[in-house]
Amino acid sequence: MAKRKIALAGAMAAMLLVTACSGGGGNTGNGTSNTGGASTGGANDGGGERPTISIMTPLHLAETPDAKIEEMIEDKLNVDLEIQWIPASTFQDRMTSAFATGSLTDIVNIRLDGANREAIQDGQFWEVGPYLDEYENLSKLQEEVLNNTMVDGKLYALYQGRPLSRQGLIYRADWAENLGLATPQTLDELYEMMKQFTENDPDGNGQDDTVGLADRNDFGSGAFKTVGSWIGMPNEWGMQDGQLRPAFMFPEYKETMDFIKDLRDNGYMNSDFPVTSKTEQQNMLINGEAGTYIGCMCDVQQLYTGASQLNPDAAFDVQNQITTDGEPFTVWSGPGFNHPYLFPKSAVKTEEELKQILAFMDGLMDPEIANLLYWGIEGEHYTIEDGLAVPVADQGKIDREVKPYNTIEVGDPATSGRLAGKYEYAPMQKAQELFDDNANYAVQDPTLTLSSETYTDNKDRLAQIITDATYNYMLGELDEAGFDQAVARWQSEGGDQVIEEFNASYADSQ
Amino acid sequence: MDQRLGGRSELIRSLLRNKWLYLMILPGVLYVIVYKYIPMYGLIISFKNYKPYNGIWGSEWVGLAHFERLFQSSEFWMLFSNTLILFALQIIVFFPIPIILALMLNEVRFTPFKRTVQTLIYLPHFMSWVIVVSISFVIFTTDGGIINDILESMGLQKINFLLSEGWFRPMYILQVVWREAGWGTIIFLAAIAAVDPQLYEAAKMDGAGRLRQMVSITLPAIRSVIVVLLILKIGDVLELGFEHVYLLLNSTNRQVAEIFDTYVYVAGLKQGQFSYSAAVGFFKGFVGLVLVMGANWLAKKYGEEGIY
Repeated sequence: MAKRKIALAGAMAAMLLVTACSGGGGNTGNGTSNTGGASTGGANDGGGERPTISIMTPLHLAETPDAKIEEMIEDKLNVDLEIQWIPASTFQDRMTSAFATGSLTDIVNIRLDGANREAIQDGQFWEVGPYLDEYENLSKLQEEVLNNTMVDGKLYALYQGRPLSRQGLIYRADWAENLGLATPQTLDELYEMMKQFTENDPDGNGQDDTVGLADRNDFGSGAFKTVGSWIGMPNEWGMQDGQLRPAFMFPEYKETMDFIKDLRDNGYMNSDFPVTSKTEQQNMLINGEAGTYIGCMCDVQQLYTGASQLNPDAAFDVQNQITTDGEPFTVWSGPGFNHPYLFPKSAVKTEEELKQILAFMDGLMDPEIANLLYWGIEGEHYTIEDGLAVPVADQGKIDREVKPYNTIEVGDPATSGRLAGKYEYAPMQKAQELFDDNANYAVQDPTLTLSSETYTDNKDRLAQIITDATYNYMLGELDEAGFDQAVARWQSEGGDQVIEEFNASYADSQ
Repeated sequence: MDQRLGGRSELIRSLLRNKWLYLMILPGVLYVIVYKYIPMYGLIISFKNYKPYNGIWGSEWVGLAHFERLFQSSEFWMLFSNTLILFALQIIVFFPIPIILALMLNEVRFTPFKRTVQTLIYLPHFMSWVIVVSISFVIFTTDGGIINDILESMGLQKINFLLSEGWFRPMYILQVVWREAGWGTIIFLAAIAAVDPQLYEAAKMDGAGRLRQMVSITLPAIRSVIVVLLILKIGDVLELGFEHVYLLLNSTNRQVAEIFDTYVYVAGLKQGQFSYSAAVGFFKGFVGLVLVMGANWLAKKYGEEGIY
């Protein structure tokens, strides 16, 4: 809830900004952020000719980090950095309002949809494609991932790499053992596990106080989309009769809704999941109320850290490959990057400045700097074992001094030569390996690089029709006919145009 | 000519005479100008197709296109009626409660008890909506919430308070009452305290009981306060819904819970449709203005002072 509060506070502030003083002046944009580079002090004063580079980046922790690493980067790359740390929960809204008030920084980190996409098409950002070859490290960025960031076939963005798919199942291994259950390989086995976790007192305390699954109010990163892709639902859009169609027009979408509805009707999951936050969901696992979790397998570390404090015997395991009806395993895939980096012309005025900034981005991909950004200082924040980075045990120190800088990484280990990590907690290490395994079965969203003006303008509004109908169906408030009506409404309020435009765009791209 | 000059110098003299008063009011005036009037300039974007990079003047004029889109959109009547229904709930259900509470508190003779009750009912006002909504989430959830546990132990069906259309409005108004009713009593208590005690003494002599005194003296005496607060409340209500409603809003209750404020937020900030959401906000402000003027007109018609 705390997160939500910050989000709201930010939202309120941003709302005031938009509704009240869109033209009142650009001074409001930077209200709460710290400019980390301001205090670099006397040592750097000699470098008067150092270019100043400003970045807006999300902050996932409560406090802005210690400036030590920032200063080291400034010295090594000979720049003055101005990092604006923006609380991650309000980041998108802040970017929208910074954009509206013309207070973007040299490097911004924004989504490539909606109004942003229009602005990109309108030429408000530098096209970087032609320059990449001039930079040794930037030219190593993967083409497939860069392609996913393209707008109308042109490259505007650099990226921070992400495993294609981190989705999977986390479950209480000790409960499974108590009940004699093997690692689920099929959806039926998983259903059976959830059922038994609910009914057969897996923690052996003699009380009926457990449920099979804890889920949250998030279709994408929660259980829904992942279960869907196990069932064979396309990733947002798929091919049907030679035409691209949205996932919810496929029968697998209904199967997925029925699966979740059935779990809920039988009490095998938290019945309030449409209003359950991520924190509450994770707490259900940490407190030993729920036995399975479907989402990023990386969360196993956090769940274990929390749960082991309350119950030292709690054991977790992760599993990615779950199949249905003997069909081959598939799992939905992200675009392979996190927020892409763009360079607004409002802040970067000349080509010369752009080249300075690209040189800086190139520098960030240098293995030495990349390790510094991601792992910190060798010997102080991590050690190297078998060519892998092992973070020191003091998580607090890492959070204070290193972690926030992860958000300005460019590329990934495969492209920048940054060390991969080694995790002490075995299931976490296993999760990393399963990310790689997932990549072999990942299903991409085919519309990622396609354009549809109607979709750009109405994405959220259209999505809401389907989101609402899907929740209502799973809660039993809406029957199949009602759901079909919602789909028809989606079609009539612009959906049909979106289908048409995506198909036209798809035909063009072939 | 002479007269006009005379008038002007009269004005200057009066300004000079009261210069300290004017100086004291200056920060307030500046505040209103800077934060209330200057931003109105931005309303222009509701008549334009605002693109941030073109600036407010540089964007193209589109006339009333955004308003047409709003009035023709399938959501318009839903938004309009949801907003007005919540507004009506605020006025009909919520507004009398602080008055009744104040009248009741006024009758309490044992001062320590009165003070304690007052403090306890003020307290919720200092909690943010996030806290209020979170607390009610914990109390009303079907996964171990105390209300549903009680219903269940009495052999009744669990009620899904948080995920139903029907329960959204009761939950909303209940939370408003819980948080604001106590705070709302302050002004009424002050108004009651200002009533001339001689009136009560005279009434007592004439044999009026406590109830009679309340109906015939206290209520008429604070009537103008009630009217002014009602008008101000009407102006406020269309402003204050956002945070609270946004927190309560979910897929299952959207049909009754989406109001202009939440819609503006989604359309403007999430989707970057600045002009359209400015138009929606403009329209909402216009409705608020009409309501306030209407209430003021009514108040004057019935012989009250109104607010202007």
